[in-house]
Amino acid sequence: MQNKLREAWYIGLFDSLPLLRDPMLLVVVSLFSFLPVFFIFVFAGGDTALPALVGAIVLSLAFVGLFIAQSVYFNKHWFRFQDMLVASPVSPVSYAIGLSISTLLVSSPAVVLSFAVLLIARPIGALEFVAVIGISLILWIAMVFIGYAIGASTKNTRRANSLPQVLGIVLGFLPPVYYSADLLPPLLQPFALLVPTAQAAQLSKYYFGLLSLSGFEIAFGWAYLIAFAVIMGLITIKKAHWVDP
Amino acid sequence: MTDVIKVADLGKTYPGGTEALRGVSFAVERGEVFCLLGRNGAGKTTLLRILATQLHPTVGHASVFGHDVVREPEAIRNRISVLPQEGRPMMMLSAYDHIRLMCQIRGMAKGEAIRRTEELMREFDLWEHRKKLSADLSGGLRQRVLLCMALTSKPELLFLDEPTIGLDPLGRRQVWALVRRLTREGVTVLLTTHYLEEAEHLADRLVIIDKGRPIFLGTVGEAKGLAGGETRVLVDDLAVNGNGPQILRPQSDREVLEIVERSLRNGWRVSFQPPSLEDAFIRLVGGTIDAEQTT
Repeated sequence: MQNKLREAWYIGLFDSLPLLRDPMLLVVVSLFSFLPVFFIFVFAGGDTALPALVGAIVLSLAFVGLFIAQSVYFNKHWFRFQDMLVASPVSPVSYAIGLSISTLLVSSPAVVLSFAVLLIARPIGALEFVAVIGISLILWIAMVFIGYAIGASTKNTRRANSLPQVLGIVLGFLPPVYYSADLLPPLLQPFALLVPTAQAAQLSKYYFGLLSLSGFEIAFGWAYLIAFAVIMGLITIKKAHWVDP
Repeated sequence: MTDVIKVADLGKTYPGGTEALRGVSFAVERGEVFCLLGRNGAGKTTLLRILATQLHPTVGHASVFGHDVVREPEAIRNRISVLPQEGRPMMMLSAYDHIRLMCQIRGMAKGEAIRRTEELMREFDLWEHRKKLSADLSGGLRQRVLLCMALTSKPELLFLDEPTIGLDPLGRRQVWALVRRLTREGVTVLLTTHYLEEAEHLADRLVIIDKGRPIFLGTVGEAKGLAGGETRVLVDDLAVNGNGPQILRPQSDREVLEIVERSLRNGWRVSFQPPSLEDAFIRLVGGTIDAEQTT
């Protein structure tokens, strides 16, 4: 077990080191999802910016999770590192965990900084804080699965780059993540909340005291996110192959 | 001698329906350099990937170190290493980081990884480039980085898929010397190459694959024998009419003598070339192309 974790850690380091060695690029990549918060703050004020910041934290992890697709694709078809690792004692689980760790390493500076800003502006209890971390992690895991499935099944370099970005817009910027679901027409609201990022943002905003939700809505939100992550996991297991068929 | 690799009637049809390999059988002994030759798309990489446990065969059987490549890959993987075809180091990562991290991924402790990295980088003349990003290295140096990564674990069986692509003549000879040294130490090497000179220089035995089917299995000498034992005579009549050297293929000793006498009379330079692996390859593979064109 210790060996597998070691393998995973070094694979994660291998994948993320080019970014970690270039702090300027790291700042740009990790702060990408926080850019809208700045404009919301400037044009709509602090009250609107706080919920947007919660959304940005959730999305930050979701985005990097999704972008694992590029690591999976390029390690397999471009750098061919996956071939080197398949023909070695490295296990596929270590490899998958390693690439996932890499996404966390890349996003952690921005997430830590945002949490610090948010906690100073809106202090919450330890339990609520753990709940928000839990929501972010479940969403991150689901997105890692989606990214992994895309990276493993894409055969086209162009698509490996564009698909996660398009999905990022669909999942991050269109649904009510940065903004309140109340701003949408009532007919669209239930559909918008079927998007997992919107559901995660709703729950996180609730735990930060920025939104009120009923007990049913909270339970549904958690169940929906967990079910989504499990389904994505099953799809990934079906799509991703360590040994090519 | 022990067989390290055994392949029996192996075949591979990809999920899309493309048949990449059919009826491949051979065995590779310990310490041997076994070469897979063939045109582009012949099935060499498919065969190498099956043996390196990266790809499932469709039919037949293949074992490495006595372990089935499909049922017992774990027993094989800690004894092999692969240099994949057209691999590339990460542009924004240094040569040193690539090799050291690969050492650590393969289970070495930090100190051991640092020692092994320096040892490999010095051996491949990479040490002076250790701080450079891969983006700043030439194609040949990048290929050496990948070779070092493949050699971190001191494998018993090394799969090299086009290992000298992009290397200059000196770099290529360095790899050849390394392959020879490794085989002296008992390492078995299975390599694919497009450079017939490389196969001629390195291969103890080779298999020529054409359209997924093996069309020759044997030693380099045996392959040359199939070229018909035809000696080429190069007559350089550049001084006479400005053309390049003429290549003649005399069919008898008498014809050879006639060519030599004519050359001496005219002051032309003449040289003899024994049949090469390239001649054999062209005869073997070219035969199938000709047959295809006539049908």
